[in-house]
Amino acid sequence: MDKEATASQLSEILEARGVSRRSFMKLCGTLAVMAGLGEAAAPRVAQAVESSVIGAASGNLYPVIWMEGASCTGCTESFAQIDAPDAASVVLELISLNYCETLSAAAGESMELARTQTIEQAAGNYILVYEGAVLKGWEGNAFRIAGEVGYEPLKETAANAAAVVALGSCAVNGGWCAAKQVYDPNGSDARAALPNNGAMGVQQFLTEEGIDVPVINIPGCPPNPEWLCAVLVNVLMLNAIPELTDEGKPAQIFSQTIHDNCERRGHFENGEFVYEFGSEEERKGYCLYAMGCKGPQTFSNCSVIRFNNRRSWCVASGAPCVGCTAASPMHPEQNWVDMHAPFFKRHRTINLFGMHIQPQTIALSIIGVEAVALVVHGFGMKAAGRTKGAPIEYMRDWDAKHPDKSIGAYSEEEVAAYKAAKEAKKGGNK
Amino acid sequence: MTRSVIDPITRIEGHLRAEMEVGSDGRVSEAWMCGCCFRGMELVVRNRKPEDASFIVQRICGVCPTSHGHSATIAAERSLGITIPNNARIIRNIIEGAETLHSHILWFYNLAALDYVDPLNGAYNADPATAHDVAEAYGLASTDFAALKDRLVKFAKNGQLSIFSGNWFKGNVSGSSYHRSVESEFVLPPEADLILTAHYLEALTFQAKSSEIAGIIGGKMPHPMTIIPGGTDFVPTMEKLDDLKGLVDEICAWVDKTILPDTLAVAKFYGAALTFGDSIDDFGAFGVFERPFDASTSYVDRMNNRYFPGGIFHMSTGKVDDVDESLITEYVGHSWYEGEEDLEPFAQGVRPAFTEYNVEDRYTWNKCPRYDKKPLEVGPLGRVLVAYGRGDADIKGYVDTVISELNKNLAEGLYDEFKDQIPLSNGKITVANLNSTLGRVAARNIETVHTAHLMQQWITELCEALASGDSTYFVEATTDNGYNGAGLWEAPRGALYHAEKIEGGLIKDYQIIIPTTWNIAPKDPEGVHGPMEQALVGVPVADVEKPINALRTVHSYDPCTACAVHVVEPKTGKSFETVTSPWGVK
Amino acid sequence: MAHLAHYNEAHPLPFKITHWINLVAMVVLIFTGFIIHYPFIPAIMGVCRGMHIFCGFVLFINCMARVILAFIVKSAPTNGTRVQVLDYKTWLPQPDNKHQGLAWIKYYLFLRKEMPLSAKLGVPQKISYLAIPLLIIIMFITGVALWIPTSGPFTGLCILVGGVMNMRIIHYFLMFVFIAFFMLHAYLASIEGSALIKVMFFGKETEGMHYDVERHNVIRTGEHE
Repeated sequence: MDKEATASQLSEILEARGVSRRSFMKLCGTLAVMAGLGEAAAPRVAQAVESSVIGAASGNLYPVIWMEGASCTGCTESFAQIDAPDAASVVLELISLNYCETLSAAAGESMELARTQTIEQAAGNYILVYEGAVLKGWEGNAFRIAGEVGYEPLKETAANAAAVVALGSCAVNGGWCAAKQVYDPNGSDARAALPNNGAMGVQQFLTEEGIDVPVINIPGCPPNPEWLCAVLVNVLMLNAIPELTDEGKPAQIFSQTIHDNCERRGHFENGEFVYEFGSEEERKGYCLYAMGCKGPQTFSNCSVIRFNNRRSWCVASGAPCVGCTAASPMHPEQNWVDMHAPFFKRHRTINLFGMHIQPQTIALSIIGVEAVALVVHGFGMKAAGRTKGAPIEYMRDWDAKHPDKSIGAYSEEEVAAYKAAKEAKKGGNK
Repeated sequence: MTRSVIDPITRIEGHLRAEMEVGSDGRVSEAWMCGCCFRGMELVVRNRKPEDASFIVQRICGVCPTSHGHSATIAAERSLGITIPNNARIIRNIIEGAETLHSHILWFYNLAALDYVDPLNGAYNADPATAHDVAEAYGLASTDFAALKDRLVKFAKNGQLSIFSGNWFKGNVSGSSYHRSVESEFVLPPEADLILTAHYLEALTFQAKSSEIAGIIGGKMPHPMTIIPGGTDFVPTMEKLDDLKGLVDEICAWVDKTILPDTLAVAKFYGAALTFGDSIDDFGAFGVFERPFDASTSYVDRMNNRYFPGGIFHMSTGKVDDVDESLITEYVGHSWYEGEEDLEPFAQGVRPAFTEYNVEDRYTWNKCPRYDKKPLEVGPLGRVLVAYGRGDADIKGYVDTVISELNKNLAEGLYDEFKDQIPLSNGKITVANLNSTLGRVAARNIETVHTAHLMQQWITELCEALASGDSTYFVEATTDNGYNGAGLWEAPRGALYHAEKIEGGLIKDYQIIIPTTWNIAPKDPEGVHGPMEQALVGVPVADVEKPINALRTVHSYDPCTACAVHVVEPKTGKSFETVTSPWGVK
Repeated sequence: MAHLAHYNEAHPLPFKITHWINLVAMVVLIFTGFIIHYPFIPAIMGVCRGMHIFCGFVLFINCMARVILAFIVKSAPTNGTRVQVLDYKTWLPQPDNKHQGLAWIKYYLFLRKEMPLSAKLGVPQKISYLAIPLLIIIMFITGVALWIPTSGPFTGLCILVGGVMNMRIIHYFLMFVFIAFFMLHAYLASIEGSALIKVMFFGKETEGMHYDVERHNVIRTGEHE
């Protein structure tokens, strides 16, 4: 915009001197050509375009293959919202995005060619970004691509990559695709134990397939585009995979909780909470802790990096965090949906024997049962006359049966009294 | 007879395969669309709370999460007897509008444009000065074309093709010039290529700005977080209002000077896209962007009263019927699910079961929804036609302008080469010609402009509501033991249907019918193909390996397949016991 | 009515003090824990968090001190005697209790009339009292992991249990184990008269039957039978 404004001002000045706008623009074009769009570069381009669908195998841009598994394209969408550098700069001036189902110009067979040529020509020197869950259901047919089982291209592409970025919670551990799928809502169908689609994360899949390649897990639903870009810049400019946590997530991004850096943390410390949506407290921007915010247990720097050109993030807009970055790479069952729903409660629901119960319901029930039992027992004690102390037994039962190994020493009266009591009891029973 | 296959289809959401039979006349004679991925969203939300469901189901699609969120909350609200406050209604319109703008801008410039625009042709062969003049002549947005050339040539000089890998343009650089082979089906003059490439890059910024609006309201986009049954938990502050207004005005100004003029510019050179891509007779919309309503408003009235009203438009008669939910059924005889029955979308059981890819039998994860036993096309074209049919003055104005421009092109002889193939009525292009690949592109872009202006209107409306002292954004449910409720709404891609059955505060059953499910539907029991399969019939294919016209036609629907695949139960109530293996076949 | 004498030798002062601290710390922890779980009295949230953390440390240190003291301080092995042995011995199996577990269960289920002969701590008591320090240690670790989930070893621990949410649920459930224990403990300590409470809290002795630790039997003099 600035450029345009400057240009139009300049053109006004030039026009005032008798230079027409048209010739001014022509001048600009000539300058541009002189500035280096020269002929020297052209043959290389020509050669590249003719011999290969991906052009030159290497150059100023780092080759990247961006594959989608069982995804919603939300991660790509999120990437398209990146603000510094913008998406165009990334694909034109930072990486060579040779294969991307959402952005690539070509389609079909040509795309597959672009992928395989990248693998051949830049083996060990490209990054694979994988978005979406890996589906193993129906022997992989739950997800098909290019006429084959969906995870086959992943195996091939990952095996030759310098590193694999598992982008988004689905790629990290299956995300919602791995959430409990209920076939029979009123019973406990055995199939509910696992999702039919066989969803899992990339790291787990590659480990199972024995493919040894570094995996960088970037969870989130969607992940913040700045996270991916930060990782790419780290790889490209510092020439190193960033420091990772035990779960293979970039340590600088996923080592602190949202709560640690939350903009509403002050209200939490002050004991100022929102208890109801649309309330006065909500208008004041109080802490969403009581609304089930998962910020205290969610590792991510959302609150610092913010979303959409850093305009906002969930809590800033009034929404309690649902903890979408919680994803344990090797455990699809620990996906963020199953770990955190119901989202507006402080605890997740526990699923037992087909029931869906909040932990405190279980706990309070047990305590309630105990209280009732104690009260009943108390009346029993009173009825038995024990509240002022029961008579102490004359002799241990075991001692009576094993006189040779007796623990206690008993007087004859005590032995007699014990026997008498036994007899009386037997007689009573008759 | 040859087969032409596009798999994966790129620049769409999700995984889609198109298989086409190409006849000796070089045109597609039959087509099969395959939705390639099954995830099982409906199963995931069962036994969860309605408010959780609206967060989870929006994850079905990263492009239109807001619409899914809204549809799910409407279903929950109808189920729980909630009438949302006026403020929440306006805020929902704004966030839905932001998503629509985002989706359509991204679609036209960043997804579909590369079917028509060859950036390297613009970079090498365009004269920036001429480009400027062309832009001025056509009323297109201008920019520093010389700098853009510089940037693109610098990119080309590096040699790595990045997103242009694959070369469907069939162009080659030789010396300092770029030549396309005679087989290339890209026909824009270099200056137009350059201008549209400039807009491609600007669009990346403006689709992001549209998302920023959704981000401000929803916390983030994709997957905004403030859409909850009962209203919204977003409360606008001064600063947020100020940001919203600024962004809306900026986007509106940009959209005004780009999207429709660019469409008309493309139409001058790609008029051939009027000759193919015609699908079926019935076009549907459930309506989107709510007008004020209260608890007594019937849902059909609500749909009919929306800014983009609901209805079923019949192209042959030009008549619009009201939407009747009960006429929706689904069929799985050609999809990877058990059974052959006609299904009702609201159901209990689910039995996905992969067999094999066989276009004669079962060939997709996508089911076949039908309205009144017939396929239905949904999407911006459906919305625009329904609004047109219902006499919406704004839409009528846009449509008539576009049609008169097309007729001018016709009169100027731009379409002479293929004039006899355009189904003209009385020698003129009419509304009926919107049922074509180019028509779908135009309809979507008309909607973009209209929505941008509506957005400005809603911002004003919201300010007025706030000024009047209305500070209600959320209402509690009146009951937590609901009944069946369906949310009929629109995603940017068309009519969206979420239905849920709530018992004891938990969802016992959930059903979703996604716009793309309607559009990429496989064959129905009578062997009638779905709208996209029918639209592909007759598409000229010059190169079976790079069937660009087929790709253009598929893209004109803006398919979104991740969400299109989902599950239902047969009407017969046939139960689980028939399943031989819990893991499906094998 | 027959009962054993309750002398201060059974509960020497150091143990009375740790017992008092346990009581206060646990009550405070439980109350503040509920507030932290759901801030139903918002204004005191900050104070409650501070107190919860403080009392958590107090309970843990007190528990450690109590364990150490068990090896230093002497206490009576049974009620009804002033004989003392090193305290830890009263926690381990004692001949007085041998083979008496079933008898105690029968007694509490009203299946037998007479109270079984026993050491100071009955069989169920020993098991539950030995479990409490273990619980306190687990509570302490889970609590600290929730307090500073971002610090080194605790991050790993959280991953181990499947995330911080699971850690919270574990911590929350264990609190209910304390509550359950607390209720049972208070009930059993008071249901058969106030002697136990008097001696534990106020050092007030109650006379009664005497116990001969050598013979592992009560001394029946008739006086208190």
